[in-house]
Amino acid sequence: MLKIKEGSVVHWAVRVACVLAIAIFIVYIPTHSETARIGQFASAFTLIIAAMSLNLVLGYTGQISIGHSAFFGIGGYTAAILIRDHGWSPGYTFYAAAIIAFIVGCLIAMPVLRIRGAYLALVTLAVAVLFPTLLRWKKLEWLTSGAKGIDSVKYDKLPVWPFLGELKGRDGRAVFAYWLGLLVLVIAFLICRGLIKSRVGRSLIAIRDNETAAAVMGVNVTRTKVLIFGISASLCALAGVLSTLSTGVVTPDGQYVTLLGSIIFLLIMVVGGAGTLSGPIIGGLVYVWLDNTTRGIGTDSRGVVGFIFGWTNQSPATLILGLALIVIMLFAPTGLVGLFRKLSRRIVTIEPQGQ
Amino acid sequence: MSLLQTTGLRASYGQVDVLLGIDIEVNQGEMVVILGANGAGKTTTMRAVSGTIPRSGSIVFDGHEIVTQNAESIVRLGIAHVPQGRGTFSDLTVEENLRIGAYIRKDSVESDIERWFETFPRLGERKSQKAGSLSGGEQQMLAIARALMSRPRLLLCDEPSLGLAPLVTQELFGVLKSLNQQEGLSVLLVEQNANLALKIANKVYLLETGQVVASGDAESIAGDERIRRAYLGG
Ligand SMILES: Nc1ncnc2c1ncn2[C@@H]1O[C@H](COP(=O)(O)OP(=O)(O)OP(=O)(O)O)[C@@H](O)[C@H]1O
Ligand SMILES: [Mg+2]
Repeated sequence: MLKIKEGSVVHWAVRVACVLAIAIFIVYIPTHSETARIGQFASAFTLIIAAMSLNLVLGYTGQISIGHSAFFGIGGYTAAILIRDHGWSPGYTFYAAAIIAFIVGCLIAMPVLRIRGAYLALVTLAVAVLFPTLLRWKKLEWLTSGAKGIDSVKYDKLPVWPFLGELKGRDGRAVFAYWLGLLVLVIAFLICRGLIKSRVGRSLIAIRDNETAAAVMGVNVTRTKVLIFGISASLCALAGVLSTLSTGVVTPDGQYVTLLGSIIFLLIMVVGGAGTLSGPIIGGLVYVWLDNTTRGIGTDSRGVVGFIFGWTNQSPATLILGLALIVIMLFAPTGLVGLFRKLSRRIVTIEPQGQ
Repeated sequence: MSLLQTTGLRASYGQVDVLLGIDIEVNQGEMVVILGANGAGKTTTMRAVSGTIPRSGSIVFDGHEIVTQNAESIVRLGIAHVPQGRGTFSDLTVEENLRIGAYIRKDSVESDIERWFETFPRLGERKSQKAGSLSGGEQQMLAIARALMSRPRLLLCDEPSLGLAPLVTQELFGVLKSLNQQEGLSVLLVEQNANLALKIANKVYLLETGQVVASGDAESIAGDERIRRAYLGG
């Protein structure tokens, strides 16, 4: 087994190598891949942000929320309405969406977070179920355009970013969505990281571990829970804005606006590793990869897949995706990050300084 | 001078009344012990003082009426609570546990951390270890050190000896005693072991089903016939 001293030259070399590899990968994708692949990464970034936001509430603070699809939808609709009806420049809709979702998040959290466990899950579940219905409501049609949703809200003219050069056409849109998504993802990551590494982050974990003990340390449990729920809601809304800007449409049936969205965010978080900073990133990439790989599997498949699923007349894609996720969770109950840590510890150990 | 004074302190869980009017006084610099059988209401009394359960009556701490205050403001006033069963945060490291003990403080806490690592070297050796991986004794030390990080004037300590080996208990009580005698920290301690309690206490309250049934200085309590029979085995 390899032993590396923390802060030693080797340790730094490994770190630098990792950062370089990631940087090369990040630049390689939008410059050397086909448009569809670039688009997949852009949607992965969106999902990662949503899962990160849920992670703050569920992973770190231990509060169950199945209502995050509604915050995603609030973001998506805020962007669409402001751009279509009020002629806003798309960039500014991020701020508006974040503020609106923060307020709505806090308003929902205030009465709800006093209850615990399964009840909280039920109330947020109701929020997720009601939200699309609200969007379809006749009396709100002037705002939401009802069941048909809002379309063509993309950037009219893509902004010119210095290092990207001029972007045009379908390819250009995908490349722009990629970089915009990455930018928001990095910002969201830094916000989460800043929160988690600070005194706030410690108080979140303390609340998750033992609420009463956290209270006697002087942590205002209710206020902390409400605020973190609001922050989480506004991060999730950023993901919604991104989704609207890159796809150009938002409807009440959109996958991530409905209950299914909440479940997907939850899955990504758990598969990646709840309560870890990198968990949602790994989970999001794996989810989008699996989703796209299995989606190609049709009723005409041959070989093992054809043999097992040949009897259906529907594509088994969703079923296979679901099974794959179950298998991952069985083998990595603490998420892929947890599994990775366990395995890597067998090969390399980092010895803390001064021992 | 009276630091903490409860008068007619009552508390209940739902419909069940648990504290039926408790009068307890802790003077500045005293070590006061609450004795009592299982279910007598000792833990409930501590919770009522630290503001983690609804309660009524009067609790005056350092001239402030705190019966209407929440847990957060009570910590700020200078009361730290070591809950029964320790309540250390198992997913945080030992050092992070100490830092959260100082949650209400805005000044630098490094010297305090150093200090408690010196007092409890075993914690210092394990400072980056998750608190959940510590032994019971180490967790109890951590819980006490964590509470002291807020620099309280009154320490509420709920059965710190629970489940600990006699030697570890002695070590802990030694630390509490020296904090009390050398630094004038006032302590309100719950303890089931009467022999131990009487050795360390200035004053003892005996609780039975939510009421104080006897109180006095350690010697007079030790001499009390009822107490000898019920708690000292003879
Ligand atoms: N959270 C709770 N909900 C309902 N009843 C409770 C709760 N906590 C304690 N009680 C009840 O209140 C009474 C007093 O409990 P308390 O924990 O204060 O006793 P104690 O003197 O600390 O006992 P022990 O020595 O066993 O710790 C008991 O009858 C107990 O069943
Ligand atoms: Mg008790």
